[in-house]
Amino acid sequence: MMHQHPRTASKVASSVPVLRIGAVGKQFGATKVLEKCSLDVDEGEIVTLLGPSGCGKTTLLRCIAGFLDADQGDVRIDGQDMGPIPVNRRPVGVVFQSYALFPHMTVARNVAYALKMQGIRGAEADRRVAGALATVSLQDFGDRYPSQLSGGQQQRVAIARVLVMEPRVLLLDEPFNALDAKLRSSMQVELRQLIKRLGLTAIFVTHDQEEALTMSDRIAIMRAGRIEQAAPPDEIFDYPATAYVADFIGTSNFWKASAAGGTVPLPDGQRRQTEHSGDVQIMARPHNLKLAEPEAGEWRGHVQFHRTIGALIEYHVETSDGVLLQVATMRQERAAPFDDGAAVSLHIIDPTYCAVYPAS
Amino acid sequence: MTDAAVPQQISGRGLGERLIDALLSGRGIWPAVPAIIVLMVVAVVPFVILLSLGFSNIVVSRGEIVSQTFSLAHLTNALTDPLYWTTFQRSLNLALTTTLLCLVFGYPVAYLFLVGGKWTKRAILILTIAPLLTSGIVRTYAWLVILGGRGVVNSTLMNLGLIDQPLRIMNTHWAVLIGMVQIHLPVMILPLIAVMSRHDSRLVEASANLGASRLATLRTIVLPLSVPGIGTGAALVFTLSYTTFVVPQLLGGGNYLNAATMIYEQVVFSLEWSKGSVSSLILMVTCLIVLVAIALVTNHFTRWTKGRDA
Amino acid sequence: MTALRKYSLGDIFGVGLIFAVGLFTLLLLVAPSIIVVIISFDTRAFVSFPPEGFTLRWYAEVFQQGELVEAMANSLQVGLTVTVLCILLGVPTALACARGRFKGTTALSVFVLVPHMVPGIVLGVAVLFAGALVGVSPSIWLQSISITVFILAVMVRTVQSRLVRLDPALEEAAANLRATPFQSLRTVTFPLLMPAILAGAVFTFVEGFDNLSVAIFTHGFRDRPLPVELLALVQYTSSPLVAAVSGVQIVLAIAALIAVSLSIGLDNVNE
Repeated sequence: MMHQHPRTASKVASSVPVLRIGAVGKQFGATKVLEKCSLDVDEGEIVTLLGPSGCGKTTLLRCIAGFLDADQGDVRIDGQDMGPIPVNRRPVGVVFQSYALFPHMTVARNVAYALKMQGIRGAEADRRVAGALATVSLQDFGDRYPSQLSGGQQQRVAIARVLVMEPRVLLLDEPFNALDAKLRSSMQVELRQLIKRLGLTAIFVTHDQEEALTMSDRIAIMRAGRIEQAAPPDEIFDYPATAYVADFIGTSNFWKASAAGGTVPLPDGQRRQTEHSGDVQIMARPHNLKLAEPEAGEWRGHVQFHRTIGALIEYHVETSDGVLLQVATMRQERAAPFDDGAAVSLHIIDPTYCAVYPAS
Repeated sequence: MTDAAVPQQISGRGLGERLIDALLSGRGIWPAVPAIIVLMVVAVVPFVILLSLGFSNIVVSRGEIVSQTFSLAHLTNALTDPLYWTTFQRSLNLALTTTLLCLVFGYPVAYLFLVGGKWTKRAILILTIAPLLTSGIVRTYAWLVILGGRGVVNSTLMNLGLIDQPLRIMNTHWAVLIGMVQIHLPVMILPLIAVMSRHDSRLVEASANLGASRLATLRTIVLPLSVPGIGTGAALVFTLSYTTFVVPQLLGGGNYLNAATMIYEQVVFSLEWSKGSVSSLILMVTCLIVLVAIALVTNHFTRWTKGRDA
Repeated sequence: MTALRKYSLGDIFGVGLIFAVGLFTLLLLVAPSIIVVIISFDTRAFVSFPPEGFTLRWYAEVFQQGELVEAMANSLQVGLTVTVLCILLGVPTALACARGRFKGTTALSVFVLVPHMVPGIVLGVAVLFAGALVGVSPSIWLQSISITVFILAVMVRTVQSRLVRLDPALEEAAANLRATPFQSLRTVTFPLLMPAILAGAVFTFVEGFDNLSVAIFTHGFRDRPLPVELLALVQYTSSPLVAAVSGVQIVLAIAALIAVSLSIGLDNVNE
């Protein structure tokens, strides 16, 4: 087992977050890559930076690690400003996308590297290397070279290599990219359990929402250099703060509406409360909609296409005013109740579970 | 409490290490500064001086310049001297012919490399690189042995009874040309091989699948794709063969004058510095003009590589 | 029917001709060297073919001729000096070109290339004249530094192309794992660059040892390097002595080739 950091106990008592990203901004030439990014990460928390490529998530990670200097704002670890601290003295450990294992060193020497650089040698170094390798179940692989390991094993070496220096924050840059799809999901679960078991604080970068949902305590959705929403996975999914977040995570249906007097009419005749007024757009998840016979409601359409995905049936419905929607229902019988081309009426199951955003 | 999270700087590091850290950490130009200084002193400044010498009248005494005045005389003298014209023309002809022949003989080797298996490729690489590691004089000497009065060619022909008297091959234009081509062949072949080994072998398969014969594939796929290699090889062979003096000196006999042997005589034997400077400058400028021409032609035939990074 | 269709007549003759020319060229590349080696064992005192007997006399003589041995020693010294200087100047320059974050990294790469693009004899003449102006006469040191300037580009490009292909995350990982820039250089970058440095060293050594175009203008009057000595020898003698010297050089070239292929693999030479 890894040793808990000696300072951990005192840290819990104080309310200072382990990592505080305060209004960090970064520019490359004329392009703003990061704009006023703020995020607090608590002890033992796994936070994912999620977004499409070019959204600034990797840049933010590199600012935390110190490979880049932020132009504005600050990065604090245990309350201490990391600005003046050079890369090689920041208490962070980075697991790179390519793993960046030193190809000319054995696994044991890779893992011992950080200790050697700090002048820790001999019995203590051996003990800590053995401990780190045991943590990732690679105790028998110390004499191998990285090229002799599988992708999953290489990833574990990369993790052991940073664990050995007992970092306050673990930074992982798309660590599953180099793995094949099958191995990926089992490694995700395994890695989350390992981080939780060691009580580490971790920041995770990915563009894969399934990976983010599996790994994280909280997800920070990034868009064009800004953090749009940072919340636990189910909150992000159920109550997306912006239309962008709703669109990015999961499948979503949008349509336009007009709000007045604190409510907005829904097309099936129900109403939903809102603080917005004027033109808005309403979002409903596919499983918050259901279909019925055309006579059962005033919101009409017809099925364009449907398919069965395991226990779910997914309908693509075009409404009478030309909006395309997805509806997902649990499958009861062998056949779908509505065939392609069938006329249907649509109903919203829970109006409060619809989101209302100002029109874009 | 707060600063405890940051690992302590390891003490006991030397001043030199700290200095190197400082020079490296800024990712600045510092590591290159020694090289820049040496290049300035040993290349840039000498070129400027060469230029100034070509455009001035100087009086040299005991290896030192006594007086120097601006003058275009040497340049105009050179440009009106028929000896210069014939010499540079001869050099240019020789170099261009050499370049062309190197391409004609070298390209098939590159094609063998393209279609050959692993061991063929290795053999070709070894046979091409090995000569580059041997001195040019040694390789030229080999041709003295082959083409000389009692050399391989004449002995063989005489033993076969085809000729009575040894043929005079040495000290002719042909001897120089043969030597030039053979010596510069590796320089042409290597860039061709480099470009061939980057080819996607599936292109050749696709071409065959689309009904092209092997010759048609060579003409329509392999050749156009290897133009960058042809350009690089031609530029290298031309520069080297235009400015060499070993081959003309040894295979052409003492009286075969090309630009390089002329400069050598002006500088080393007759100590005419201004003339030597002017000749060097003309050599450099004409060489540059041909290189630009080669680059333009190459660019014209490689338009498909442009705009990929846009 | 299909067998006939597989290769047309044009293909058979055309490709056949290309193969024939290719094989002839390959023969042309090695045959002269082989003939020289054969001649070097001939018992006669003049160059003739085919040889009449076998002797090692010429090889013995190579090492008895004081001037030749001295020239070899001089060239060896120049070769080593050039190599050391190229490593000391070239590797840091390659680092600056490939990893620098300053404006003008491209300009720097081009600047380093320029002396290599200029014809060797022009560089030699320029250095000779410039030296004379400031009172530096030709010497083994002037020759060494001139050839260094001429060939530096090869070392820089060999190392730079290796650096460019090196995952930049490796150096970041080293920094993240507490290494100072110097430690990162010593423990990660240098070991991974070693093959490229070795390959560059072989080529710069060969250039220092064999260069004639720059050397002929810059070598010391009393410190004649081997190529200059050989040039005179080839011009004024006709004994197989030169063939023996060539034989020695060919053996050295093969050794260099083996060194290169062991250090980086033949396939990577062609950069």
